[in-house]
Amino acid sequence: MAARTRSKHRLADGTPLRELVRVEEGRIAARVFTDPEIYQLELERIFLRCWLAVAHESEIPHPGDYVTRRMGEDPVIVVRDREGQIHVLLNSCTHRGAEVCRVSRGNAREFVCPYHGYRFHLDGELAGAPAHEWAYDQQFDRKAFTLHRARVGTYGGLIFATWDVSAPPLEEYLGDMRWYLDLLLKRTEGGVEVVGAPHRWIIEANWKTGADNFIGDGLHTFMTHRYAIELGVLPNDPLIGWFGWHISVGRGHGVAIVGAPERIPLPPYLGLPQELWPLLERALTDAQRRILERTATVHGTVFPNLSLLNTTTIATEEGMPRVPFLTLRVWIPLGPHRMEILSWFLVEKEGPEWYKEASRKNYERTFGLTGTFEEDDADIWVSLTRANRGAFARKYHVFNYEMGLHRQPRPRTEWPGPGEAYWGDYCEANQRTFWAQWRRLMTEDRG
Amino acid sequence: MSVSAALSDELYLQVVTFLYREAYLLDHWKLEEWLSLLTDDALYLMPVRVTEWGIESQGGVRELYHFEENKSSLTLRIKRLQTQFAWGENPPPRTRRFIGGVLVRKGDRDHELEVTSSLLFLRNRGDSPDLSILSAERQDILRITPDGLRLARRLILLDHTVPSLESLFIL
Ligand SMILES: [Fe+2]
Repeated sequence: MAARTRSKHRLADGTPLRELVRVEEGRIAARVFTDPEIYQLELERIFLRCWLAVAHESEIPHPGDYVTRRMGEDPVIVVRDREGQIHVLLNSCTHRGAEVCRVSRGNAREFVCPYHGYRFHLDGELAGAPAHEWAYDQQFDRKAFTLHRARVGTYGGLIFATWDVSAPPLEEYLGDMRWYLDLLLKRTEGGVEVVGAPHRWIIEANWKTGADNFIGDGLHTFMTHRYAIELGVLPNDPLIGWFGWHISVGRGHGVAIVGAPERIPLPPYLGLPQELWPLLERALTDAQRRILERTATVHGTVFPNLSLLNTTTIATEEGMPRVPFLTLRVWIPLGPHRMEILSWFLVEKEGPEWYKEASRKNYERTFGLTGTFEEDDADIWVSLTRANRGAFARKYHVFNYEMGLHRQPRPRTEWPGPGEAYWGDYCEANQRTFWAQWRRLMTEDRG
Repeated sequence: MSVSAALSDELYLQVVTFLYREAYLLDHWKLEEWLSLLTDDALYLMPVRVTEWGIESQGGVRELYHFEENKSSLTLRIKRLQTQFAWGENPPPRTRRFIGGVLVRKGDRDHELEVTSSLLFLRNRGDSPDLSILSAERQDILRITPDGLRLARRLILLDHTVPSLESLFIL
């Protein structure tokens, strides 16, 4: 029995998974980003167990509205039924597995399988099949062939789902991360909504490269996004990304709230339009409001693959107002060396039209497939994935995750939010939190 | 060069030559010269496309764009490439734009032409043996000016809903 348990934690060549992720020493093996065997284990041990973000309620406002998404590699339908309840269904017929939904969004009364005509209610229950009295000799047990249904939870309008019946409730899973999600998703009474359909594209990089970057990589801005410094739109100061709080929230979640040095003026509340300020003051606690007041950027990751970015970006055309944008994205695994990036643009419902338009354009031009910042990141994540597939890298290459390893979190008197808060976003405590959670799940003993 | 608004073989040839020249400039990284072919009020749009039922929804989601650009924002994009730090485009990709199916008709306004064309875009980067491929329909408005034809508006309907490439600064 003990031998079996141990072998579960070892790869086929005998390497213990635990040895690849030595967060206590600030060492992560390159292999975790590229190994096909590890990838297959992730699909089962992470993507079958975690709460995964799949959609936002504003994408399916009316009864019958649906979008199709993925949980790991598994295709799902996210649908609102007649009563307004949201269901997340495996997009595969319980008869022979054909997709019962063939488009990526729409409105339906029911889902009809194009293969043999099995019909499913919006909650996934089987409604019938053609000639079933004859075909199944009146033994047709509808209840036994419901579409596979994931558990569903929502927070701040975001829809999450999990396949794991024993997973904790979503609120518990998010834990203290809720406090930080509130800063973005619930800072006005109406909250935020998705505009249009998300940007989706595929890059040849491992899904964790994105999660690992967004959770706490303040240092990369100065080099990765150096073009912005060269053009004078970001200050030429190697400390540009330092001035902020880097917060390991727990359960693998992390966030950074970045401002600027005292001498550099920042527009209040990331540059949100003044019309929204009174709404912010009503919706947020005093501590949350004070934090947002001198913030330029919020970035973070909800374990495993939901990342967020709210930033006062550079103006992307002359004379354009400098307003922030908010993007949430999921890094969808499509193989050890490939992912789909699905990136939503969201904006406060109550925002004035000029702001919504400027915010959208700033997002489109800096993030998304054609975004100038996104291009820089994506290209480097592709190169990282490409460079570490060889036998040597897989066996011997280990990455340095030591940044801030000897720094202590600051006391609660200095930072009013939950989690372990480090001063300075040049830190990898959040990344280590992410990898510690990854290791926990990958080596957990479960039936 | 003077251009008459009457549709003629000569005009058609000028339109096709304009499109070819533009593609040549982009493929050869002569980006400022390309910019000079745009009118000052030019719009350059590529909406996100979504798989939905029915042909009527195939025009793209006009709420979110891959490109929602004007001359000023395109100028910034091109300045970025000149910094040598646009990692997604440096070292520069090798690209090839094939244009076909060019249809020309008179626009709603005098001195404007509506031009529809098909684009096949191939791109190779680094030492990868693979080509990134994009294909699209382009719905252009070309304006007849004293300096010749100029691009006043381009709507690009990408044939992909989920393109597969890591960077794209212009199509
Ligand atoms: Fe970045």
